[in-house]
Amino acid sequence: MWCNRLYLTREEEAMYNGEYGEATALAMKIIVKVGEVMGAEKLVKVKHVHVSGVSYYNIREPGLLFLKKIVEEGAIARTYTTVNPSSIDLCGCSGLFSRELVNGQYMINRVLEKMGVKPVYTCVPYLVRTPSPGEHLAWGESNAIAMANSFYGAFTNREGGPLTIASAITGRTYYSGLHLIDNRVVEAIITPPKIVDEALASLLGLYIGEYIDVKPMIVDAWKWSFLSIKEFLASTAASGSHALVVLDKITPPNTYRVSSSLEKISIDEKELRLYKERVSEAIDFKGYVLAYIGCPHTSYLELKELIDYILSHKRVRDNVDLLITIPLHYTSLLSDEIKYLVDKGVRVAGGVCPIVSLLNKKPDLVITNSGKALFYLRKLHGFRVAIASAKDIVREVMLN
Amino acid sequence: MRVFRVEEIVSGECSGEAIVVDRKISFYGEVDPEKGVVRGEDIVLKNKVLVLRGTRGSTVGSYILYALKYYGVAPKCIIAGEVEPILVIGCIIADIPLFKVLDYRSFIEYLRVVKNPYISYSSSEKTVVVYGEERIDDSN
Repeated sequence: MWCNRLYLTREEEAMYNGEYGEATALAMKIIVKVGEVMGAEKLVKVKHVHVSGVSYYNIREPGLLFLKKIVEEGAIARTYTTVNPSSIDLCGCSGLFSRELVNGQYMINRVLEKMGVKPVYTCVPYLVRTPSPGEHLAWGESNAIAMANSFYGAFTNREGGPLTIASAITGRTYYSGLHLIDNRVVEAIITPPKIVDEALASLLGLYIGEYIDVKPMIVDAWKWSFLSIKEFLASTAASGSHALVVLDKITPPNTYRVSSSLEKISIDEKELRLYKERVSEAIDFKGYVLAYIGCPHTSYLELKELIDYILSHKRVRDNVDLLITIPLHYTSLLSDEIKYLVDKGVRVAGGVCPIVSLLNKKPDLVITNSGKALFYLRKLHGFRVAIASAKDIVREVMLN
Repeated sequence: MRVFRVEEIVSGECSGEAIVVDRKISFYGEVDPEKGVVRGEDIVLKNKVLVLRGTRGSTVGSYILYALKYYGVAPKCIIAGEVEPILVIGCIIADIPLFKVLDYRSFIEYLRVVKNPYISYSSSEKTVVVYGEERIDDSN
């Protein structure tokens, strides 16, 4: 059936006409209308939806009211669906996050889980279910979208919270933007300086996000660590609106094209050093310092390495908190190791993100290895933020 | 009186007193969802025909439109120069009729020269008609 300018299959048409219930009809209407506005000719089935916009700190009563309403009307997830971090520490062990948001967040979580969303509460859904090249997804969460397109070669646009809910319910998204290979065209080739750690990768990402609008390809990216790639892509998606940055010898072939007229850009170490002076504070311990690792949430290997390194130190300095945020399910997988960390004075939090949450105590300085955290903690919370690698952070804030 | 062609994005009725916000607005942050006002400006949205250049910012904006309706302070309908997903989704979930005016520039210029403009939508013609007394004295 043609619905205005958009072709719907028989099943999609039945969803649109209310044969699957009110919530599904509303969700289908959302996707069809957005598809029309975005110039799509049809819809596409998605293998994995990642729902964003679930923090009570952000969406408050308006968001909760809507989610409650559609679940009361029978909304269920028809495809595999994961969900972004919440605004409260769901393992309740760090003690750094405000309790003011607990009631509202629990209501949101209960509603989402009733819908059938996997309660992972993490911004790294690609570590929960690995996307395949060419697979269509409907993901919210900008860092995850950049990883899905650039590292895994899956196809997803940058979707907003309500649209991901509609995709979860219908198992569809509109077929336009990055779902079409013709829109995945590299127009610039960037030669970066040697990337020695994730702090430098973060700075490079922030720099590219701020100054480069076209889809770039990064030379020698295959030499970087997984952590550097993760922090780099998250940063490009924070300071800019990048959703696909082709990584030399990593991004799967046939998931992008290269323009015949390529702009050549070279970024040297000196440029990044000057950029760092502009965006990052210098490290000092004059007031209360929050050292923060885990934006985006740590991977299992990253966390294991970090634990080993932390355990070779004595304890966290006075007037400093060392916070590590992890996917909720790691809190049970690594419960013993987390106990050792807690003994050293480290604060581990599960299923939460400080960017979309409220801290009990405002830090005088944040030190983080994440360009994304630097960007948003400055911009949304007005914090002073310094950047350093995770290893440098541990060395700075722990006594030997 | 002048007539402007529109595209119907979310269908429904649309007639009433016009209120103009000639910029791209982020409903999240710029609009108080319980009071139904644009923060920092004395713009009351309730039951008005809201004319917007477009929307920007956080996708939480869609939920703010839903909240405006929930608290009974939503505009009657929205006529925008540019429509993007935040606005489309917000209007669908809040059931607020939404239209895209094809010649936004002329539309907004005409609204400027009309005192207390009143807008009426014709679904058969796919047009909006702007009524009101045209200002003769245009000192600008």
